[in-house]
Amino acid sequence: MHYDLIVIGMGLTGLMAAKTAAEAEQKVLIVGKGIGSLYLFSNTIDLLGSLPIRKKAGEGLSQWIKDHPKHPYSKTGPEKIEEALSSFLSLFPPPYSFQSVGEGNCLIPTGAGTFRPTYFIPMTMLGGTSINEGHTLIVGFKGFKDFYAHYVADQLKCRGAALTLPDFPDQEMTATALARLMEKKSFRENIGREIKKQLHHETQVGFPALLGMRNPIQVKEDLEEILSANVFEIPILPPSIPGIRIFNRFKEWLIQKGVTFLPGYSVSKPIIKGKRCEGIEMSHPPVITSYSADRYILATGRLMGGGLVASDERIYEPIFSLPVTQPGSREDWFGKSFFNNLPHPVHEAGILTDSSFRPKNENGNPILENVWAAGSILAHHHCIDEKSREGIEIATGYWAAKSAIGR
Amino acid sequence: MMKSHWPKNNPDVCIRCATCMAVCPVSRVSPQFPGPKQAGPGAERFRSPDEPSVDKWIDLCIGCHLCDMVCSSGVNISELNLIAKAKYLDEKGRPLRDWLLTHSYLYGWLGSLLSSLGNPILTNRFIRWMIEAVLKIDRRRELPSYESPTFRQWFKERHSKGTKKVAYFYGCYTNTNEVDVGKATVQVLEANGFEVILPPQRCCGIPMLGNGDFRGARKMGLYNVPSLLKTIRSGFDIIFSSSSCGHTIKHEYSRMLSIPGAEEVAKHFFDIFEFLRNLKESNGLNARFNELPLKAAYFAPCHLRVLGMGLPALEILRLIPGLKIENIEADCCGMGGTFGFKKEKYEISQEIGKDLAEAIDRLKPEIVLSDCEGCRMQIRHLTGLKVLHPIQILRDSLTR
Repeated sequence: MHYDLIVIGMGLTGLMAAKTAAEAEQKVLIVGKGIGSLYLFSNTIDLLGSLPIRKKAGEGLSQWIKDHPKHPYSKTGPEKIEEALSSFLSLFPPPYSFQSVGEGNCLIPTGAGTFRPTYFIPMTMLGGTSINEGHTLIVGFKGFKDFYAHYVADQLKCRGAALTLPDFPDQEMTATALARLMEKKSFRENIGREIKKQLHHETQVGFPALLGMRNPIQVKEDLEEILSANVFEIPILPPSIPGIRIFNRFKEWLIQKGVTFLPGYSVSKPIIKGKRCEGIEMSHPPVITSYSADRYILATGRLMGGGLVASDERIYEPIFSLPVTQPGSREDWFGKSFFNNLPHPVHEAGILTDSSFRPKNENGNPILENVWAAGSILAHHHCIDEKSREGIEIATGYWAAKSAIGR
Repeated sequence: MMKSHWPKNNPDVCIRCATCMAVCPVSRVSPQFPGPKQAGPGAERFRSPDEPSVDKWIDLCIGCHLCDMVCSSGVNISELNLIAKAKYLDEKGRPLRDWLLTHSYLYGWLGSLLSSLGNPILTNRFIRWMIEAVLKIDRRRELPSYESPTFRQWFKERHSKGTKKVAYFYGCYTNTNEVDVGKATVQVLEANGFEVILPPQRCCGIPMLGNGDFRGARKMGLYNVPSLLKTIRSGFDIIFSSSSCGHTIKHEYSRMLSIPGAEEVAKHFFDIFEFLRNLKESNGLNARFNELPLKAAYFAPCHLRVLGMGLPALEILRLIPGLKIENIEADCCGMGGTFGFKKEKYEISQEIGKDLAEAIDRLKPEIVLSDCEGCRMQIRHLTGLKVLHPIQILRDSLTR
């Protein structure tokens, strides 16, 4: 099968790239090893969480880009980042829309009972940005081991309550099972009435982020009506229900647009002729299937998803064998102290690209004419420390696709 | 059990990320099943071939393979589950019911021959109560009715003609229970200029494999592969219309069942819509479709998804003028082949199916399409809607 564009990787970067190309009426194939990282991580959209709270994002970002000329953000600049973010937001019309609070970062509570800065949050998390300590109840469920309401509440100086689930006493529950139950009106009404009994004078109730998969706003509003209190979601451990909501929305949209959506199997080999990629082979034993395209976007992520692989000696990129900029030797990967304030050098490793996101060699020339790279696989960012993961994914996924289809 | 044939699978590469927990249809609806992460790589560390099995919940794995598909570390979770299930059932013993459910290929011809007599009996409420009491086949689940003549008998009378030739693996259910799926597949292939031949074939073995009966499944494979190989070596590609038969022959025969020659078969074994999509790609598809004003919803079966070819039926059906077709956003119908017939699993099967039924209801289609007979049975059962294989709709638009 031949396509205009093949996107390799099904995380937020790949999905943004596929969306951007599909909007330009391109014939697109998106392939993923597994199903991408949205099932695990992204609850909210980080842009640059390391900026001071209340600092205007646009200003902060401009200055920050000036100070970090090698960073992926510096390849686009603030205006283009904003354009990419708008494209993301357009996929999420109300009720389950994303928004920033004020003009900069906001702080939301986490399942560890800490606060973390982030930029766009879904409407279900809005209440968490203004926790009124004495007036907030944090609710968990007995049998659900990924969220401990009393622990979280202690950290946040609120009150906690752990509910026994009426139909499932003494049984272990998963986040997806609970999210599914929440979609059932009778279940959430029971939960609501039970919490109502335990409510003292609280005006806010925080839940782990599992208030339904498909229609969380309806779940939130129904609970609010029963409780006469504001309800909000708190991001928790993987799997991430809010991440799955993002994934499902992209998937639904892409399939409707005619994009071929191929989760599951990894690229076993690229077919390279000279300076061009002519095709990819996907291995699903015992069958190998070939696909070809005019252009390719590499959005395979970092070490966890296998976009980069670490051997004993060095870090390498397994599909195209692209050069990976990295510390000189393994001894230099980590700082002296693990919990240092400075990020470990190994996290800056990644693929170097030109300004249009084509991987480049040490002379600055593109390695392959028709391959672009985007997302966290790029070099010179510290997305964990900077709290910039989704921003990088959205901005570079969008602009790599724009560059690719513009040629 | 044939331990020498177990494929190599390293559960220790599991990074415990829990993506599989988010897609498992069974743990989504039932806390009785701990989910793929625990049941597969988690429990595997505590299993020993010499010790008795303690996995009393392992039989609840529905065998959808979605966990394998989403795993970014490449752990074949459902395979670990299936091997553990086989051991558990070998030790516990299998009821007669499981033998009956997995050997329909032996009595399908009889069902077809006596269909006018047998079909009413199988819907009789007293008989169904008896079957439930004795065999533990849930009485709320409709038993498949038989058709006469069979697909094979119909095909014998047909003189398939075309300039090119292709072979067809139709599967048991098409032969005796949904003959029109086979007819439609043949008619569409003929409309594309292919003469169709039927190589000698038996049940692919998936009912047995799904119930942990490796020996039984392997027997089927050892019959089918030489026959299919002979066809392939005479220059034919082979088409299948049932995604579950297709997945079994294409992927399980070599990896799980170690059938000699299965790898060569796999390379020439194509889903009907994958085949049509390839024809379209080479400008060889007969696309003279008549207008078909119909609102349809398409559901991609799990075993079609794990074939890793996208949704070719959706791509081809979108070419039919007038046909409004939407993809149903739901995972797993809950039927799981024989799973949904079993009394102790019927409730779980229905709970999984409810999510699909709700997704269908939101689309309000006139008709639902799906490539797997199990999914079609379940969707009819859940919604009462007309449910067809997508090839039947394609045929209708070509021959109208």
